[in-house]
Amino acid sequence: MKQPSWLKKLLLSLLIPIAVFAVLEIIALVKGVRLFAGEDSWKLFFRAVANVTLTTFALSINLDSGRFDFSLGAVSMLSATVAGTLAQEWGIGPWPTLAIAVVAAALLGLFHGGVYVLTRIPPIIVSLGMTLFYEGCAFAFTGGKGVSLVTRTDIIGFSTIFNYILLTAIAVVAVIILFDNTRFGANYRALLSGQKIAVETGIREKGNALGCYAVSGALMGVVGFISLANTGSQQLSLNFGSIGIMFTAFLPMFIGGWIGRYINKRVGIMLGAVSMALISLAFARFDTASSVQSIISALLLVLFLIYLNNEFAILSKFRKKQKVSEK
Amino acid sequence: MGRQTLKERIPAFASVIGLGVLIAAYYIIGAVRDANVEYGLKAIVNQSVVVALVATGAVFIYTLGSVDISLGAATGVSALLGAMTYNATGSLWLMFFTCVGVALAIGIINSSLASVFNLPIFVTTVAMMSVLSAFMLILIGLNGKGDTIKVKARDVRPLDTIEIKVGILLAYIALCWFIFTLLPTGREAKFIGGNPLCAFLSGINEKKLAVIASLVSAVGIGLGAFLSIVYAPTLNRNTASSIGMDVIIAIVFGGMPVSGGPRSRILAAVVGAFSMGFLSQIMSMLNLGSGYGQMIKAAIFLLVVFIALGSRRGKLLTR
Repeated sequence: MKQPSWLKKLLLSLLIPIAVFAVLEIIALVKGVRLFAGEDSWKLFFRAVANVTLTTFALSINLDSGRFDFSLGAVSMLSATVAGTLAQEWGIGPWPTLAIAVVAAALLGLFHGGVYVLTRIPPIIVSLGMTLFYEGCAFAFTGGKGVSLVTRTDIIGFSTIFNYILLTAIAVVAVIILFDNTRFGANYRALLSGQKIAVETGIREKGNALGCYAVSGALMGVVGFISLANTGSQQLSLNFGSIGIMFTAFLPMFIGGWIGRYINKRVGIMLGAVSMALISLAFARFDTASSVQSIISALLLVLFLIYLNNEFAILSKFRKKQKVSEK
Repeated sequence: MGRQTLKERIPAFASVIGLGVLIAAYYIIGAVRDANVEYGLKAIVNQSVVVALVATGAVFIYTLGSVDISLGAATGVSALLGAMTYNATGSLWLMFFTCVGVALAIGIINSSLASVFNLPIFVTTVAMMSVLSAFMLILIGLNGKGDTIKVKARDVRPLDTIEIKVGILLAYIALCWFIFTLLPTGREAKFIGGNPLCAFLSGINEKKLAVIASLVSAVGIGLGAFLSIVYAPTLNRNTASSIGMDVIIAIVFGGMPVSGGPRSRILAAVVGAFSMGFLSQIMSMLNLGSGYGQMIKAAIFLLVVFIALGSRRGKLLTR
């Protein structure tokens, strides 16, 4: 089969974000609103890119290997709670606080992975238990009060466009290096495509799974810190109240999978996140009610999935029509 | 094949043993703490019946190897529309039929999306959950009376009895047991959950079974929605919000694998739902606080699942 040229690949990779931008710009023009009006819009956009990119990485690392993880939101919440509390008690600045959040989240991920590897309970069930456990931990750790850093202008001041771009870039590069250019990544891909054969050839599955959970956790630590620095507080939730964050990652993950046919999958996920961030920005600029936002996001997810799962049939029909019109 | 040893039998009964231990612990702690055990039991039944109803129906979906997390939102929408119908007509029967009818309509949409467009059921239910949660907000907004939709408590109080709730639950369990055990539907569903390819090659229609599973499950959702209104007639955006996850926990707690297949059992949902109810009540009696209580609940949940897994652990990590 003929491979598309690099230019065609590049254009196809950028197709979805550009199409989303174009559609939103047209709607903005009709409504008489500017999509990017001032620094706040840019900040909102880049914060959404950072949050969605990192959350989607965290979700897809384990989901691609068949390990569903409900605990992403709980890890983010607990790590931000620990980091925020320590920042308040020790009076440390934003970067050390971020480092604490990342280390705490990586350890939480590692613990989650440890429970999974040791008990051999199916991952979706372990993740349910760990979600409840981490939510309970965050609640017990602060006595249910959460964390407030509203007086810490240094930490709140971390929320700049430059920092969002920096964190996103570091995460994308780190994930690409780790999963595409190291032995760990090669083992990960081998386990992903043929678990039994990979294990029989000597790949240490348990170590790889633990690594995946730790990396996924670390990424959620960054997400937790971004939220903490942005709002100046960390609200707590119980009874699975933390799982909502995970659902924002599904559409960019599927978009990333599609773009990944033409470019590196991690970059594809980031481009998927850019598309989602544009939509989030548009929701804010058009003053869309949250209920309408949820419905539109869900419909987009369903429509995209309908296309993905019926792509062959749709394209075949399209090509048939094209041939008929050419004749 | 020889007779099973006691050690081999324990995992099969781990969930029932777990429920027995929790009931015993409930009475012992109640006696030690001089708690009102009778009142607590009523609270357990009230909490567990709705989860048990929804989870019993969901067993059909889970048996096929699918996971549905939109059950809570579906229950919430059915309850809100049921309450609005009652407020408009004053008829409890119409409220009942609206709850079940709306749940059936949602079930048809879910199963149609999955079977007509070949969508993965889990992701479809993620999207449905968002749509239904948003729809709940819209309904509450349309009602125009603050953040809640209320049914007068005195109107539904005659139905708020343990006998009626347990009666509805038993009737629904009997229906599900009949369909699951005595009709080919249950056997075929187990076959699909255990080995979808083999089931397909044997001529079993997976799409038809997915629709049946959604419809049976929808009846449980509708009944759960109706009893939610009866128990707590002031409904808001959080009504039944945690049921989707509680159902998964209940099914697993009850000893059924979340991957479905031949080890699926109707009674797993009931055992699991009541185990959770007793566990929550024990945590309340121990007065541990929400955070520590939830941590212990999580640890016990994982422990029970671990024991129930028994020796069914392969060389490879489960996926």
